[in-house]
Amino acid sequence: MKFIQIINKKYRQVLGLAAFISVIAVFISCDPALSAFEFDLPEAGSIADATPPTANFSATQSSIDYRMYNFSNLSVSATTYFWDFGDGNTSSSLDAVNTFPGEGTYTVTLKASDALGVESIFSMTVDVVEPEAPEAIVPFIREAGFEDNSPGSEECGNGNMDGRDCWRISGGTIFGITSSPVRSGSQGAKFDAGSNRVAYQALTVTPNTDYIVTIYYTIKTSPLGSAMRLAILGNAISHASEAEDAIIASAIGDNQDDANEYLPLVLSFNSGATDTIAIWIDSNNVAESRIDDVSIMLAE
Amino acid sequence: MKNSYLNFEHSSANLVRRLMLTFYKTIQVRTFMMATLVLISGSFFSCGDNYLDPVPSSAISADVFYTNEDELLNAVINMYDGIQGVNALDNSDSNANHAIQVEFYITEMRSDNTKTKSSEGEAAQFENYTLRPTNGIVYDYYRSFYDVLKRANIVLANIDVASEANKAKIEGEAKFIRAYAHFNLVRLFGDIPMADRVIGIADTDVQFTRTPKAQVYDLIIDDLNAAIASLNNAYKNRASKAAAQAMLAKVYLTLGTNYTEAQVLCEAVINSGFALEPNFNDVFYNENNNEVIFSIGFLANPASDSQGFSAEWLNSVGRSSGVNYVTNEAAAALDAKGGNRAAYSYRIDPAQPTQKQVAKYFPNGENGGATGVTFNSNPRAAGNDWIVLRLSDVLLMHVEAIMAGGASTSAQAALNSFQKVRNRAGLTDVVTSITKEELLDERRVELAFENHRLFDLIRFNAAQDVLSAFSAANGYSFTSTDLLLPIPQREINLSQGMLTQNPGY
Repeated sequence: MKFIQIINKKYRQVLGLAAFISVIAVFISCDPALSAFEFDLPEAGSIADATPPTANFSATQSSIDYRMYNFSNLSVSATTYFWDFGDGNTSSSLDAVNTFPGEGTYTVTLKASDALGVESIFSMTVDVVEPEAPEAIVPFIREAGFEDNSPGSEECGNGNMDGRDCWRISGGTIFGITSSPVRSGSQGAKFDAGSNRVAYQALTVTPNTDYIVTIYYTIKTSPLGSAMRLAILGNAISHASEAEDAIIASAIGDNQDDANEYLPLVLSFNSGATDTIAIWIDSNNVAESRIDDVSIMLAE
Repeated sequence: MKNSYLNFEHSSANLVRRLMLTFYKTIQVRTFMMATLVLISGSFFSCGDNYLDPVPSSAISADVFYTNEDELLNAVINMYDGIQGVNALDNSDSNANHAIQVEFYITEMRSDNTKTKSSEGEAAQFENYTLRPTNGIVYDYYRSFYDVLKRANIVLANIDVASEANKAKIEGEAKFIRAYAHFNLVRLFGDIPMADRVIGIADTDVQFTRTPKAQVYDLIIDDLNAAIASLNNAYKNRASKAAAQAMLAKVYLTLGTNYTEAQVLCEAVINSGFALEPNFNDVFYNENNNEVIFSIGFLANPASDSQGFSAEWLNSVGRSSGVNYVTNEAAAALDAKGGNRAAYSYRIDPAQPTQKQVAKYFPNGENGGATGVTFNSNPRAAGNDWIVLRLSDVLLMHVEAIMAGGASTSAQAALNSFQKVRNRAGLTDVVTSITKEELLDERRVELAFENHRLFDLIRFNAAQDVLSAFSAANGYSFTSTDLLLPIPQREINLSQGMLTQNPGY
């Protein structure tokens, strides 16, 4: 009895000890150290990368040197970058700058990769073009010499191509045609005395550019006090009554020494904030006047 | 007979009795059903729209408040109150909207003009280009200006209560504010939710859709044109025709289109009667002088109308230890090209002579004396108005419009405008041509610390070059994606996946 009791007691002790040891063993064997996984296959229990790298970039041409481009890296989820600019240059920085050798089309490629070695490639073609300094427009004046059938005057007025159609304006009386004296060709424009004649033509110009307009005029020697006016309007008008308010520059020619000699009347102006101006010619109607050969050029 | 009579009576009485009994029974049995029938049919006819949603009669709610023009004018003034933002002195809740008072963090401090004094806190993220989407100042500005947009849209939603005489003007004023807020947000964040009406809590498609910039700019241009058509130049602290014209010119220059129109707008403003202050210092300390086109008004008293940013730019006068401190690069540029503007634009910090402070917005005109911290009035409650648009900005925009995207100009009109700005600065040598770089430099020294530099760099396509060099020289970490702010993380979270973040964040 006593023996069994002793055995039972020991048995319980052994059981207790065994239980204790097994509990400890369980804790030890559940050690999360990597060595516990040494017999697992690789990839077992791992999750695939949900955000692999995506390469992307944008390019901006420098305003200082047309061959230099700034590349802005817009890639997602990447750690290393390799740029190939298509002209032999490469780079491995995040954002890149490259100066191309000259005009041409280049294919720029960005390879973005992450630490798992997954790569993403994005390409863009860059067209390197030297920006042209825009030539200022020198407008073509139709019927500049008031000749019949002047080139380009088919689109003007009433289509009879008499050297005056491109100078008409509603509400204004068109000038007459004279054949003597003229400065060049066979016709000129005649502004009769006591009759309010006008000439108007709208032209397309480059804004903020200096131009010089020239006309040639002659006035009969009497009565004295007669004058021709050459003016520039700051915008196109649709009725002669709007002319006076639109004038941005004007010049007067009043030499009456010789009724047959044409003298130049020159007007410089700046086109300002508009791309449409108009030439306006009238006279104070004292003596019969003539004009010929209207021209426009860029001021140097 | 009596019997029969009685019988008859009885029988009729009986009949009546039986009828009544039947009737009562009917009623008893059917009463409940009939009552229900009555009630149900009654409910179809009796309840109006507001039966379950009554208008509170002892309180005012926004739905019904605006019933006449005077009440609508409250909403108009409210727009400017929204732009003013809260002064932390008056309300220290960090979740309050600080609006224009924190604009310098996300503009000037992200450029090469200013930095923090000691590189601490969230503010340092701006100067060293380590900005995180959780930045509280970015979120502050974002929610402040969406609040301003709401205030403007409330005016527009209730515009019909205005009198015929004033309706167009009030509409123009609200549209100007709406355009102003959208313009800043779209330049800072890129594609943004567009607030073309009051956005309700349930309008999640509007709140969390990033409308493409081009569409936002269309709305901005329409709003500014409406403002130009209906406003006059009566105010400097409220919207005006000149302010709308100048802002529209800036929009066109930012988009790189309509240069001739921008030039015409600038010329209209230049000919509206504004004039440069002869003394540069007076621009900032002579309130509402002739050069100011649009400024946000503040008053030193009451504190709720004061501004706290002037104090933040000093040494531990505000809540920070010093922000918007002048970089060495900006000081060097001012010294080299500023003329007499340098002395009025920055100064050495009296308390820390290795550092430099902005001199344009000393609180209430007081520069703090020899120590930099001695003031008669409370420097944290400053009344200095914040200038948004002034004439010399328009003169330089005039040059930019004439240049029309080219590399230089020598048009006389441009030279005249440029010369005016430089003459005032004491730089009277005659200018014969202006290059893009010269214009950018002139803008930097003329408008330093007025929240223009970052936008100018971006508009002139010089941001990546200049800021990369600046960042490399100072050990910061600029990358090109830093030119846009991150959409605030809270908005991303609220959108539950609808809002996409800007690249690089």
